[in-house]
Amino acid sequence: MDMSATGFAVFAFAAFLIPVPLLAWLDRAPRQPPETD
Amino acid sequence: VYAGHFAAGLAIKGRSPSTPTWGLLLGVGLLDVLFGPFVLLGIERVSMTPAVSPGFSLDYIDWSHSLATSLVWAGLYGALWLGRGRRTAALMAAAVFSHFLLDLPVHPADMALWPGSDVHLGFGLWRALPDGWWFVELGVIAAGVGYYWARSRKIGSFGRRAWAVATVVVLLHVMNAPWLAPM
Repeated sequence: MDMSATGFAVFAFAAFLIPVPLLAWLDRAPRQPPETD
Repeated sequence: VYAGHFAAGLAIKGRSPSTPTWGLLLGVGLLDVLFGPFVLLGIERVSMTPAVSPGFSLDYIDWSHSLATSLVWAGLYGALWLGRGRRTAALMAAAVFSHFLLDLPVHPADMALWPGSDVHLGFGLWRALPDGWWFVELGVIAAGVGYYWARSRKIGSFGRRAWAVATVVVLLHVMNAPWLAPM
């Protein structure tokens, strides 16, 4: 295994993990409007 | 396929808004999350092919990406979610297996039926359309993210910043363009 393959493997691993929390955070539920009497 | 997998996860989210988003997005990428450590451990092999699209050759990915192991990973991942109900577990499993289905038209024949099988699947869009595959995947992204966005507007229980979700997924796809970087 050469270093380019190592780098590619690390890249693939990170590329599929790093966006997950960001996308999940952006997807969270909309704010509910404050209730009025 | 890269950003197209996230689009698939978001489409499932649009179909089933109560399913945890992070679980779906982790699921759609699980086969490549496994692929990384498998290469580092010497279980699977990849080599760089700068002159041949898509810039790398997946020489042996039978454990992360074969049809049989994709089903196994999907089943195991779904089982982890059984505490949230059968429907959630099934959707999580579907998210994992969607990775195989989306890779199938794009990969050259490098996805085995099972580890060690002589039969390998893959219709080879990466090779047949060295640049054009990017636009095909863009169409998949537009369909998946568009559906997610429309459902978020209609249902209102998720997707506070659906426009930002769409922007991030498209940016990830741009970063993966064949004239910029391989994936």
